[in-house]
Amino acid sequence: MRPLTLHRLLLQCLLLLVILFFVVILALKFGAVPVSLYALGRDLLRVLFGQSSGISSDYGLIIVNIRLPRILLGIIVGASLSVAGTSFQALLRNPLADPYVLGVSSGAALGAILALIAEPHLTISPVFAALLTPLGAFLGAAATITAVYFLGRRQGQIDSSTLLLGGVITASFLSAIIMFLMNTLTGNLRGLAYWLMGDLSTSPQKSVYWFLGIGFLAATGAIYTTAGDLNLLLAGEKEAMHLGVDVPRVRLVVYIAASLLTGLAVSVSGAIGYVGLIVPHAMRLLFGSDHRTLLPTAALGGAIAVVFADTLARTVVAPAELAVGAVTAIAGAPLFIYLLRRRMA
Amino acid sequence: MNILACPRLRSAACTALAAFLSCAAPSRAQSAPTVSSGAPAFREVTDEVGRNVRVPQPVRRIVSLAPSLTETIYALGLQDRLVGDTDYCDYPPDAEKKAKVGGAINPSLERIVALHPDLVLVTKSLNRTETVRALAELGISSYATDPHTVDEIITSSEKLAGVLGVPEAGAAIASDMQHRLADLQQRIAPLPPKRVLFVVWTQPLISVGKDTFIADALRQAGAVSIVDSEQSWPQVSLEEVARLQPEFLVFAASHAETTPPTVEVLATFPGWRILDAVSNRRYAVISEAVNRPAPRIVTAIEDLARQLHPDAFVEKPENGRQKLEKENPAGNQQLSSHDYLSPRDPQLDGKTSGGGACAR
Amino acid sequence: MSGGSSHARHLAEAGRLANEIRLSVEQVSYAYSANPAQAPLFTLEATSFQARPGEIVAILGPNASGKSTLLKLIAGALHPLSGRILLNGFVTHTLAPRIRAQRIAVVQQESRLLFPARAWEFVLQGRHAHGRSLRFESERDVMIAKNALAQVGAASLSDRWMDQISGGEKQRVILARALAQQPLLLLLDEPTLHLDIAAQVDLLDALRRLAAQNRYTVVVVTHELNLAAEYADQVVLMHRGRCLRLGPPASVYRRELLEQVFQTPLSVEFGASGRPRVTVLAGT
Repeated sequence: MRPLTLHRLLLQCLLLLVILFFVVILALKFGAVPVSLYALGRDLLRVLFGQSSGISSDYGLIIVNIRLPRILLGIIVGASLSVAGTSFQALLRNPLADPYVLGVSSGAALGAILALIAEPHLTISPVFAALLTPLGAFLGAAATITAVYFLGRRQGQIDSSTLLLGGVITASFLSAIIMFLMNTLTGNLRGLAYWLMGDLSTSPQKSVYWFLGIGFLAATGAIYTTAGDLNLLLAGEKEAMHLGVDVPRVRLVVYIAASLLTGLAVSVSGAIGYVGLIVPHAMRLLFGSDHRTLLPTAALGGAIAVVFADTLARTVVAPAELAVGAVTAIAGAPLFIYLLRRRMA
Repeated sequence: MNILACPRLRSAACTALAAFLSCAAPSRAQSAPTVSSGAPAFREVTDEVGRNVRVPQPVRRIVSLAPSLTETIYALGLQDRLVGDTDYCDYPPDAEKKAKVGGAINPSLERIVALHPDLVLVTKSLNRTETVRALAELGISSYATDPHTVDEIITSSEKLAGVLGVPEAGAAIASDMQHRLADLQQRIAPLPPKRVLFVVWTQPLISVGKDTFIADALRQAGAVSIVDSEQSWPQVSLEEVARLQPEFLVFAASHAETTPPTVEVLATFPGWRILDAVSNRRYAVISEAVNRPAPRIVTAIEDLARQLHPDAFVEKPENGRQKLEKENPAGNQQLSSHDYLSPRDPQLDGKTSGGGACAR
Repeated sequence: MSGGSSHARHLAEAGRLANEIRLSVEQVSYAYSANPAQAPLFTLEATSFQARPGEIVAILGPNASGKSTLLKLIAGALHPLSGRILLNGFVTHTLAPRIRAQRIAVVQQESRLLFPARAWEFVLQGRHAHGRSLRFESERDVMIAKNALAQVGAASLSDRWMDQISGGEKQRVILARALAQQPLLLLLDEPTLHLDIAAQVDLLDALRRLAAQNRYTVVVVTHELNLAAEYADQVVLMHRGRCLRLGPPASVYRRELLEQVFQTPLSVEFGASGRPRVTVLAGT
């Protein structure tokens, strides 16, 4: 009998942090432009010591202004999607749930399209124009979250099966609208195809990073407070209630927080697939199903996965770039099959 | 026992790192590497999508993110200043040797930055706003073109020449193109335009919209596209085409030899067979230059006009030769007049008077 | 020790020692209708009974007699239409789920786990209601869980995976989880349904032993006439939503009454211990 202790949890997180660190170094080093480790180390040290004016080399500019923001974005997005995926799998008691199953990404995509349509007709400053697509996507996500919440209620509370049905239908419906719009619109929607696949190449502005970071912390923190409850929830809702879980409250908190995480991630990077589905399963296989470990390890695992996939996306057909969603899809499907067989065995 | 939750620790570290970076990251504009020697001067211009662009003077290093823009640069004689272009920039052949930065839609920002361009050229119909914005964040200026008609292609090239500091070359090209087009109009204006279907793709059947420069090019060549759509690349229904019965099908191909077999195959499909143009093998093949809003499009227009209205071009062979030589732009020593007119257009060589269907 | 329930614990101790009434079901009724506008599909008429520490109460009756509904009302899963249920003086359905779980433990028939878990993990879940919401289990928790497994004779199953043990073993582990909650009230809904006879007897023996040892109040819903007769101190006989009879088995097991409720010819005898034994008469 070896119950979970804080000590073990921290060790597991430390292990993953070390792996993340190495993946980040890899991501900094590799790219369309070759960068030597020495130059990399030197420039990073300069950044750390605040001597940013000393970075005049090309590599410095590329590393600090292009790769680092992109890596940071990858970390936040990967962590958000994995935590959201873990939460939805617990909330819906369904191992196939991923962050998009309740329609959040379709809503965000529709919001982004509407923003793209509206942009030529609005007279706004360039700064705001750059924010228009992520903002539209986020609003679309928020609207979908609200709608699906009301669809998924029974007798005033969220009911898992009703929620799942409502979410899936909403997702289909929104996807159909998106397809219709893409078919009939005359505007420049080329970028949207990339966005729909999941793409980290368009790094947002600094202010957005703050928003993302705070949002991630708040939502993940909220979900983590229910980690113990989620363990029990998986045994069944009636049982969980008899064991002391306030089921309606937990469902509401988890639903809103996980949807928020998904909305944030999708607003800036499009719908990167498979991460939210597979990373939780992989972490369960490695570290167990206890959500007190699963949530942090999934977050770290997701960060590792996305940064790694993005590095591949940037390098395999350099100088052209693949969308990171394409890489996660190619790697994700076989991995999922493997995990499935492990469970069956 | 309460937990100092691990995700909080890690996220705190991430936030700290982000804070560090945001303080430590150099301000974008200053960090743009200024490679041009001498005092960096700027000129403010407005590009064709209405943006204010700060163009460094002089413009020594150019990166082109569209094949049409690459062609225009060569036509203006500025190829020595072109330091990078896309994987798809293949004309003239010399453009293949330039450093590549990726696709038009997904270029590598890193490669572009590593080339230290003074100016990046983009076009609205091919490149993404996100790319332009990302370059702006890195302190690199981009100039966007957006021609929708053949006339706009001419003025666009001229304006671009002005921005790049070679207005004379621009004027020369512009006047050349205008003269040729005027000549063409003279010949074919009295004739009724032929109704055509410009085939971009056969399955599904995709043509061009009425607001595209390709549609305008068709008009200049004495043709009119039967497709009347607002979209740029509308998918049209075969039934509609059958109802309208175009007189000719127009294909743009890099290798004219592959088109006749394609049409043969089309003739075997039940839907396509009902088109007169297919069953009578009435089709025209022009170079793919028609797809690019660059000076070379005039050649494709002329070629199409010859194929559609052969009677208007009965002339002595010498006239034809003189015409060819006149098209050689000033300063473009590397290319022979023949090259400039697109070497992939064999029909131009063998085409003389006489008409009838192009049944080859 | 959790701060919030120490007052309750005090009361519990007091009640236990003085052998006062622990569970008091007072005129509890319930109605269930699928559509608020329509007439109720099912009603439970006002029912009352009381139970002391160490007692085993059997809620006995055929299907659709309202036994499970009554149990759910006692468990606090449903709110009564009228009346109330008091546990050591506290109204159960107004308690927060957390507090309620510290006093009432429900043993389900089966447990569907989405992801595999070991037996000890499963039993540890019973400790969730105690202490703060987000925490790691302490040594004390581990000890209580081990103890619970030992009390049901399942200590050897501690490291086994839940989906790899037999039905009877699983039932014991589920009971251990309930014991780990350290409840005052133990509720079981048809616990013998999927068990073979030996396992049934094992379970009820354990319940009797535990009730006496740890002074639990045990309420068991069942339709097994003889098991109820053998092990219950009190029987609540339910028929179509009404409590027909209440009392020790000897007084409730009247042949005419049982035949009316169970709709089958029976004969009732009394054994040496004074407990009735029912035989079903087959044939005409």
